[in-house]
Amino acid sequence: MNKTFFLTLAMLAVLAASAQKLVSRETYVHFFSETPIENIEAQLNDAVGLLNTETSEFVFQVNIQSFTFKKSLMQEHFNENYMESSKYPKAVFKGNVVGDVTYAKAGNYVVSLNGEMTIHGKQNKVNIPATIQVSKDGLVVLESMFIVKPTDYDVEIPSMVITKIAKELEVKVKSTLRALR
Amino acid sequence: MRYALFFILILLSGSIKAQDDLLAELEVLAPAPSKSFSYATFKGTRVINQQSIELPGKGVGQFVVGHRFGALNDRPLYNLFGLDVAQIRFEYSYSPHAWLNVGAGRSSGSKTYDAFTKMRFVRQSSGSGWNSPVSMAYYSSATVITTPFSDGFDHYFTDRLAYTHQILIARKFNDALSLQLAPTLVHFNLVPSTQDANDQWGISMAGRYKLTQRMALTAEYMLRVNSLDGYHNSGSVGIDIETGGHVFQFHLTNSRSMADPQWMMQTPGQWNKGDIFLGFNISRVFTHASPNY
Repeated sequence: MNKTFFLTLAMLAVLAASAQKLVSRETYVHFFSETPIENIEAQLNDAVGLLNTETSEFVFQVNIQSFTFKKSLMQEHFNENYMESSKYPKAVFKGNVVGDVTYAKAGNYVVSLNGEMTIHGKQNKVNIPATIQVSKDGLVVLESMFIVKPTDYDVEIPSMVITKIAKELEVKVKSTLRALR
Repeated sequence: MRYALFFILILLSGSIKAQDDLLAELEVLAPAPSKSFSYATFKGTRVINQQSIELPGKGVGQFVVGHRFGALNDRPLYNLFGLDVAQIRFEYSYSPHAWLNVGAGRSSGSKTYDAFTKMRFVRQSSGSGWNSPVSMAYYSSATVITTPFSDGFDHYFTDRLAYTHQILIARKFNDALSLQLAPTLVHFNLVPSTQDANDQWGISMAGRYKLTQRMALTAEYMLRVNSLDGYHNSGSVGIDIETGGHVFQFHLTNSRSMADPQWMMQTPGQWNKGDIFLGFNISRVFTHASPNY
């Protein structure tokens, strides 16, 4: 065996190692809360996710200031009064995809995401349901819908506005992951 | 054999890499935004009488009602500290762009109508590249008083007009403290005597200090440079209370009129004489055009 053969093998090995990671730079996040007085709704599509298909580790990060509201004053209050985004600019999920997923094979998989969610500087253990869809061209779409309670993350809602803000927010995430290059 | 070892090493390094902290890797892939702009330097688009650096958001209209009650020293018990006699101002403004606000209002002092515009041209920022330590805006208003003249002379319509120009320079020092300076020019088409300058200059100073997330102390002072006789500098202290779509501003001021030229340059009251007026502004925003999802 010659030198070139081994070098090629070695490079392939490195490539294979990095190909186990899938990244999404344009993850869509939407949240919604409904009360009889006012609906609160915002979205962003520049969240980032990174999935290691070998170890099933998954991390996910949102810039709080990227959330766009229909009402600009609501956006200001969200950042200034509730999320304190200049102090806590990010929300982060770090954990594992739990469930049998064959990333090499097209199909739909029902999984759960188990790990730690950090919002407003406060960390909580979470276990949220998700689906993973692997398409024929190797694209992996992770979708999840879950409930976030502001009180779990020390987000203070004064009694003055308590009727306008729901105790639970419904969060939807859609992340399209591609091989990391 | 040596190459085989090398190959195994590379493989190992690959698997070690896979166990690295994914989060650290994510930080590299998606660093935090390199620049951030200050927002919510003040709670309201006014500090008290003085315009603040804030504008309603893009596509948002804002309705403001202002009340100034009677003087606290004007038979306080008979008039219930002035609550029986109020001056009122309505205004509506709209922001077609995030940096531009236009509006009109009517104040009962001298039955004054006005049109105004505010244009923000610099935003305070931090991060990479060039950053401005302050936010800046140009504010301008034109006012027309509609009460009859009582001096017995004939007057042109243009005698009723006055124009206000201000450069607002504001800095949010931290989450709680914001200060604003505003060089001010008021041009009166008509002044009381030939000795008085039509162009009246001043410097407005204003600030706020946040007590809680939804409550702040405010204060403002208009230092006049070439002052008109018989008038005094305007000074006010207040409190801002914000409740979602509304901002309530309660204050004590020696200026009763709310139209720009009048409170800026023609304040007859004096704090130390007890010519103090209780007042409030209430604002409500209406979103006319929202970003499309």
